[in-house]
Amino acid sequence: MSETLTGAQILCRELLAAGVDVIFGYPGGAIMPFYHALPEYPGLRHILVRHEQAAAHAADGYARACGRVGVCVATSGPGATNLVTGLATAHMDSSPILAITGQVSRPMIGRDAFQETDIIGLTLPITKYSHLVQDVSELASSVREAIAIALSGRPGPVLLDVPKDVQNQKFEYEPSRTAIPGTLTPGANPGFPGSLDQGIQEAAQLIAAAERPLIMIGHGVILGNAYAEVRALAERTGIPVITTLLGISAFPESHPLHLGMPGMHGEVHVNRAIQHADVIVGIGLRFDDRVTGNTAAFAPRAKIVHIDLDRAEIGKNIPVAVGLVGDAREVTRRLVQAVEPRNCETWRDEIQSFVRPRADAFSGDLSPESILASIYEVTGGHCTIVTDVGQHQMWVAKHYPYERPNTHITSGGLGTMGFAVPAAIGVHIARPDESVWSISGDGGFQMNMAEIATMVQEGLSVKMAIFNNGYLGMVRQWQQFFHEKRYSCTPIWSPDYVKLAEAYGIAGWRVENRGQLADVVQRANAHAGPALVEFVIAQEANVYPMIPPGGSLSEPIEAQPAAAPAV
Amino acid sequence: MARSHAISVLLDDDLITFNRVIGVVRRRNIAIASIAAGASQTPGVSRMTFILQADDASADRLVRQLQKSFGVRHAVMFPAEEAVTREIALIKVRMDPADRAAFLSVVSQFEAAVVNEGAGACIVEIAGAAARTESCIQALERFGILEIVRSGAVAMRSAEETDPAPAPHNPSEAVL
Repeated sequence: MSETLTGAQILCRELLAAGVDVIFGYPGGAIMPFYHALPEYPGLRHILVRHEQAAAHAADGYARACGRVGVCVATSGPGATNLVTGLATAHMDSSPILAITGQVSRPMIGRDAFQETDIIGLTLPITKYSHLVQDVSELASSVREAIAIALSGRPGPVLLDVPKDVQNQKFEYEPSRTAIPGTLTPGANPGFPGSLDQGIQEAAQLIAAAERPLIMIGHGVILGNAYAEVRALAERTGIPVITTLLGISAFPESHPLHLGMPGMHGEVHVNRAIQHADVIVGIGLRFDDRVTGNTAAFAPRAKIVHIDLDRAEIGKNIPVAVGLVGDAREVTRRLVQAVEPRNCETWRDEIQSFVRPRADAFSGDLSPESILASIYEVTGGHCTIVTDVGQHQMWVAKHYPYERPNTHITSGGLGTMGFAVPAAIGVHIARPDESVWSISGDGGFQMNMAEIATMVQEGLSVKMAIFNNGYLGMVRQWQQFFHEKRYSCTPIWSPDYVKLAEAYGIAGWRVENRGQLADVVQRANAHAGPALVEFVIAQEANVYPMIPPGGSLSEPIEAQPAAAPAV
Repeated sequence: MARSHAISVLLDDDLITFNRVIGVVRRRNIAIASIAAGASQTPGVSRMTFILQADDASADRLVRQLQKSFGVRHAVMFPAEEAVTREIALIKVRMDPADRAAFLSVVSQFEAAVVNEGAGACIVEIAGAAARTESCIQALERFGILEIVRSGAVAMRSAEETDPAPAPHNPSEAVL
């Protein structure tokens, strides 16, 4: 049965039909018909952000936390362009978000109308799909198609640009019954001869013959919900597991087979294991340059088995011996069936001999490690950590003991400072029953701290930790190591964060020594409502070890260099 | 080692897909010799042909990225030297009546044709492999070239090998 609805109403109906229950957005001229219709659909909760970038990051955080499409809405022109960083972040980290932008009315398009931008053109390289809706008759199918594309295969952001007059256009709406397709069925990989089964046999033979095998897992294991399969593969073979930055929490860190994070700030023994490995089974990762360092010197002895949903990733960054295209869960499950049980004890002992005592990276007694340990103890691990970008992000990645799947959310590929606070809003909405801590540096926090107001207005109980060292710390560290300690433009002033919290009417604390730590973290975590904790840490704390950019994994910097090396 | 590759793309016949495909090629910083676009054997599906200089691995990466782009039905690459490649060029040449005999002899030598003639100038059409077009242009230079329009090369791998016909539009398959 059909009924006459406006484009704006159809948009709301289709979002509800797709299971959307929250929208992060900001109204404006060209999206006003949509906002006019919104109160008729109380099933769509709207979170009013303070900047559209935050809407995109919040939708991203939401999508990563619950696996459903995250929706953000903005008006045309500046509203739409403010989404761009969030879309690029979601694109690099394969996060399914739908951006709906208002556009000027169709007769005005192409005439440089007020608040007109070609947002489709602007976002083409950072979306999986984008579409300018030309007529109300195609609106419903466009929404369905866009959401299906965002969620199918390797997830990613999509954008629908809806002219204002299309939102107002009336149409005889008939809900279609098109189902949203699920993930792609794994199949034969045309890039490599032979079937998936043959590839799995080849991979199993490589694993059986290997003396020093490793498993490296990335975000694909989380997106594909392949935790049990990866664990079964590791336990059946005794192969140690390395988790990339976005793979963190896909394998319990207390597990005896867990090794740690590889790459630029990976532990020395993890990187040495990679350099000594003869077979690496990579699952759902893309061998990013922060993981490999200099690719020519990466894992020189290893044959690579690469499992990825996206066939364009196979062989993109490093040469691959066996490429297996398909869903991480299904392909790993079949690989588990194909491998013979074995034990890698000698190899694991060898890796243990690579372990170095941790460099004394922290001065002062309020070390980043002690703060993270305190958050873990207070929350009992029932907590999702959302990090920003920089030193604190690496400290969390290295020192927070993740046990539960998908409890570590960060901007990995794009490295977007300012991500944590708004993304934590989305995570909190997806996971209202557990603590959500955003952790930022003093630089990244100041990029999007206006979102405290969003938390207050919407009653969102996000906990915000600020690691304040008075510097843009990671850049300062690079300046220290590679730019003759010339701290150009990295000292950064901060407001009084406790007073800032007070101004917003939220709870706020400053922690300056270890004695205050447990009590404050406990009180912040238990506080009903948003809470902010500033941790004053040593100004020149560094992240060790570090592979210089473009360097080999075999050549880490393990402590402050006496003189800056030439890079 | 860089060599000449033909990349043949079947794509939805709409400008946004053209734009997306061009964007995928552009952001990989590969030197493009020519681009041609036109209809394919399937209504609603266009064919774009790129001739580019790249090493095999870079060209292969590009094709895989194209294959997963929304709106791309099929993308394939093959060495340009081993393929049948053709382009058409229109060359406007200054025409001095005194040079007419010499000019016509060049035109016939390259199996080109005079397709339009006016006072003091004429348009020569030549179709064929790019190398022949280049030689023809060189030979016509002494008469004075006023304008050149080239179509860019279209390419087919061989008479034996036919790319599969594009599948019906299905978003869950088009995007990997």
